Amino acid sequence: MIKNVLCNLLVLAILAVGANLQAQNGLSFDKYKTNSEVQKALTMLQQKSPSTAALHKIAESPGGEPVFVLEIGKDLKNVPAIFVGANFEGKTPLSTEGALFLAKMILDSANYTRKLKWMILPLPNPDATVGYFSNVKWERTVNDSSVNDDKDDQLNEDGPEDLNGDGLITKIRAEDPEGSYIISDKDPRIMIKADPAKGERGKYKLYPEGIDNDGDGEINEDGPGGINPGINFPHLFKSNARDAGLWPGEAPETYGVMKFIFDHPEIAMVYTLGTSDFCMAPPRVGRKGGANMESLKIPARFASRIGADPEKTYTMNEAVEIFKAAMPSRGGREMNAETVAEFLGLGATVNPLDDDLKFYTDLSEKYKAYLKAKGFSTDRLAADTDKDGSFELWAYYHLGVPSFSMNLFTPPKLSEQKNKEAVPKENASRESIPRTTDPDEREKNLQAYIDKKLNGAGFVKWQSYTHPTLGKVEIGGIAPFVNSTPPVSQIDSLCKVQLPWLLTLSKKLPDLHLMNEVVTDLGAGVYRLELFVENRGFLPYPTAMGGKNRQPAPVVVILEGENLQLLEGYARTPLGDIGGNQVKKLTWTIKTDKKALKAHIESPLFDATVRQIKIGG
Amino acid sequence: MGKLFILFAICLSAFTVVAENKGKIEIPLRFDRYYTYDDVVEALKLLHSTFPELTKLDVVGKSEEGREIYALTINNAKTGEALSKPGVYVDGNIHGNEIQAGEVCLYFANMLLTKYGENDKITKVVDKNAYYIIPVVNVDGRYHFFKDAQTSSSDRSFRIPKDDDRDGLVDEDGPDDLDGDGNICMMRIKDPLGDYKTDPEDPRLMIPVKPGEKGEWTLLGSEGFDNDNDGKINEDGEGYFDANRNWGYDWQPNYVQNGAGNFPLCALGVKAIAAYIHQRPNIIVNFAFHNSGGMWLRAPSIKSEFVDPKDVAIYDIIGKNALKMTPGTVYQPSYDLYDTHGDTDSHMFNLEGSYTFVGELFMRNQETYRENVNKPVVPAAENEASQGRRGGNPVESRELLKFNDYLGLNELYKEWKPFKHPTFGDIEIGGWVKMSSRLPHPFMLPDLVHRNSMVVLYASEQTPEISMEIFDVKEIGKNLHQVRVRLKNAKGLPTMSYKSISNRLYTQDMLKVTGAKVVASGKITDLRNNKISYQEHKPETIYTSVPSYGFSEYQFLVEGKGEIKINYTSRKAGNLVKGTKL
Repeated sequence: MIKNVLCNLLVLAILAVGANLQAQNGLSFDKYKTNSEVQKALTMLQQKSPSTAALHKIAESPGGEPVFVLEIGKDLKNVPAIFVGANFEGKTPLSTEGALFLAKMILDSANYTRKLKWMILPLPNPDATVGYFSNVKWERTVNDSSVNDDKDDQLNEDGPEDLNGDGLITKIRAEDPEGSYIISDKDPRIMIKADPAKGERGKYKLYPEGIDNDGDGEINEDGPGGINPGINFPHLFKSNARDAGLWPGEAPETYGVMKFIFDHPEIAMVYTLGTSDFCMAPPRVGRKGGANMESLKIPARFASRIGADPEKTYTMNEAVEIFKAAMPSRGGREMNAETVAEFLGLGATVNPLDDDLKFYTDLSEKYKAYLKAKGFSTDRLAADTDKDGSFELWAYYHLGVPSFSMNLFTPPKLSEQKNKEAVPKENASRESIPRTTDPDEREKNLQAYIDKKLNGAGFVKWQSYTHPTLGKVEIGGIAPFVNSTPPVSQIDSLCKVQLPWLLTLSKKLPDLHLMNEVVTDLGAGVYRLELFVENRGFLPYPTAMGGKNRQPAPVVVILEGENLQLLEGYARTPLGDIGGNQVKKLTWTIKTDKKALKAHIESPLFDATVRQIKIGG
Repeated sequence: MGKLFILFAICLSAFTVVAENKGKIEIPLRFDRYYTYDDVVEALKLLHSTFPELTKLDVVGKSEEGREIYALTINNAKTGEALSKPGVYVDGNIHGNEIQAGEVCLYFANMLLTKYGENDKITKVVDKNAYYIIPVVNVDGRYHFFKDAQTSSSDRSFRIPKDDDRDGLVDEDGPDDLDGDGNICMMRIKDPLGDYKTDPEDPRLMIPVKPGEKGEWTLLGSEGFDNDNDGKINEDGEGYFDANRNWGYDWQPNYVQNGAGNFPLCALGVKAIAAYIHQRPNIIVNFAFHNSGGMWLRAPSIKSEFVDPKDVAIYDIIGKNALKMTPGTVYQPSYDLYDTHGDTDSHMFNLEGSYTFVGELFMRNQETYRENVNKPVVPAAENEASQGRRGGNPVESRELLKFNDYLGLNELYKEWKPFKHPTFGDIEIGGWVKMSSRLPHPFMLPDLVHRNSMVVLYASEQTPEISMEIFDVKEIGKNLHQVRVRLKNAKGLPTMSYKSISNRLYTQDMLKVTGAKVVASGKITDLRNNKISYQEHKPETIYTSVPSYGFSEYQFLVEGKGEIKINYTSRKAGNLVKGTKL
């Protein structure tokens, strides 16, 4: 039986090969690539386009593997860049394929590198990929750093074992009077939670496949490896969470990614290929916390000092003005929204800002329409929710750029109760509103998918086994990776249909230019200059979050001219925020005896063409 | 105009007299002077070369400008490897201007080394603990504080540029030493519409005008000009990057608290020191010295964070004694000052399991000129306007100036002098100088460094001293023995913080039996009534910790005969082995 499962998987794999999968530049998508194959693919892509592509080693994993970013468009200056990260948790090999596929599409066409560069990170977590590629498959997410998970006297001493020798880590079900699971009466393959309210009593305990190697009563509680870089980023990082690491960026992979990105202020948008999907639905709202900037209270201890009313509410702008008036600078620091927020202890933003939700919502509607036009069914299990400490959340909240994630595959909805999505219970959790399906429903659906689409491959029939500590048990259940990793035959088509949307999104980037100017002669060599800056792109610069965290690189308009005297305004004028498809006017009053002056935009990511401005007749 | 002016300022600063004292660096070190960064390095090298058997000098890492960050280890190898003893970590000067924190560290090292073998108290703690001392965390900051013109509170930052005013240029408009005297003082301009007038009692001071009164002065802020011609003065100076907001625990980005840096541990020095500390898991208590306010701060750094009252009780052992050793200070949780995220002390307490203190050293109310120092110069009831900042009330400012005149050798305050400002025209520059306000005059330094070092010494006397007693061995069946063990702690610090235990931060202390088969084991919860809480698994090892000034008792049921060994292993309290015969 076990052999049958493997055979089926193998057949599917063989069937997949054959079609026109050989790409133009020699990169093929007929199998999931190992870490060394990914490195080879990156090297090959770089060597095919040496004038535009570069490979950057941004980190070394604790297992000694290099982590590479492929830069496409290294020859371009003053253009925005899109950073693409994939498979941070190491257990979605399809997303690594997606990143390489995207790189190939970009290199195959001149269309997406005209005024845009790309930085592509297909495999930030190489250590974890052994979980998929070793002889025994298990969903590993951690790198090779040394973490003693169970805090005993041994390291990594109790990982999973393939007890039944089928090459898969599945589950153990053991009869136990204290167990909370029963076998589903509708499908004996599925274990469901007993519901005492329905008169059901639990009969089984479920364990991961393995033994209690260290005799502490726990199974598989201290497996190989340490930190999951996919939850080691600083936004909503949880220090005590399993596999998260002690502090954000403790994993060298995470640290390397953050350093690389901050070293490249031209990065204007971030894509993540993995488990969440901000293309399909905006980042979730409803997390508790975060301050309302339009309604701030100033605590009494500050209020008396700065002449504010502790009973009144202020907008952030009003609060800044009050603070400015009372304490113009503090240790050489200017009073602004940032310093005031710090004074008031407002804390971190935890929900996407309303103005940003507008473009997220709009683009998700367009994405669904796009998929529909392609005949691609969206009737599939929901993607995972964004995780605390994840890369995609960090990109939005800390970088302040549009952050779009994409989950390339979840199983189609097939079970009979397919429309029974779990409705978030009120007060169920103040912190999270799950978008995922009810776990039992998910399990049933997965089983239906295995039956109907995989010919049963992916389910290991429960078979009895004599366990050293649990005694007579059964081992079986749904195989690892089935829910996230489709047969290799689908890699190409899944990428081909969905990934072009990311190229479409790339055309939505903000695109700033000096548009035109109006010069009014006020007499005696004095002029009013009105200069119009346009954003030809759909997206704002920066996002509302970027405006708040003040992280995106500033855009400054520079005015230069001989004998130019500025009566009002300055030679360097920060543009501030500009919405998508918006025009913003900057005004100067100048005095000059010359007939022309020059203006240009200064920014690491926008057009710096110098505009000649005629003065007077 | 602008460029010429800069040139002029540079020429002037070439003649700047640096305010630190000179003098040959010798052992024992002198503390009636301040040490430049180079002096600190020289002093550390000299301590190491004079006491090679007790010390190790490591370069922990390099700064953004390439300066070396030194750590001095003091450990007596004859009494054991450093890692096998409780570790005491002391650092200072994470903010570049807070230089006397470095002197406290140097004094402490100097005291331990020069009195070792002569003073029993010192000999005992040096033999018992391993000391790790990093006198200067912000090495670039210390260098520039001495070398460049500064205010007493500028130059806190690491050399990590930041575009504070968001104009595309970094650090382009900081203060300028207009008069070239090596200080950034204040600027004022004659202005009949101004908010201030000359204090009739001391013409160096200005006091606010009352409504209807004619003004005389407008204050123009710190010395400087509009370097980048944006209509603002001194709005984008050095950094701002605060290394004491860049640590890993509860790090929050710049918009939550300014100076945090782009991501945790992005500063070279912070990353290097965090790794240095992480490699020394024996550190059980640590001090980070800062320079202003007269405070002993303990965890937590944010009000909403829970700290076990049992941990607070441990903090109190040291903190409440520190209050008496450094009169005038307060001892409080760090958040009482304000919430901070990513600070050194929360990182150490929460992620390294060490009891951490921040020592805010200087108290300006010690700069007195009055008969009875216990009688405040301004009655507390009248002192609301100053908001607790000494000098906020004119009566206090007058006293501070008299302190400068009669005790400070006129070295703390600069008389107002006319200056031609490039945009403001005729102004005056004057006020408190760099080496004032947050730094004790050198004559006060020896007292400050000694009292604060003694607090560290006291804490290091309180590191756990564990003894093991096998107090009851008897045969209770055929080939079966009951072995009872007691671990006793003679000192105030427990072997593990309660935070580390509840967060499962690392492997607890272990009591392990070797040499025979252990059938069952557990903690004795009530010896007289013979109550034992047996553990379900792995009876040969008990995971535990030993409380402050207390003990804990254990029972092993051992099968076999002959010699068994009982091993106690603790990350922070050392190791012990005892044998017994069955």
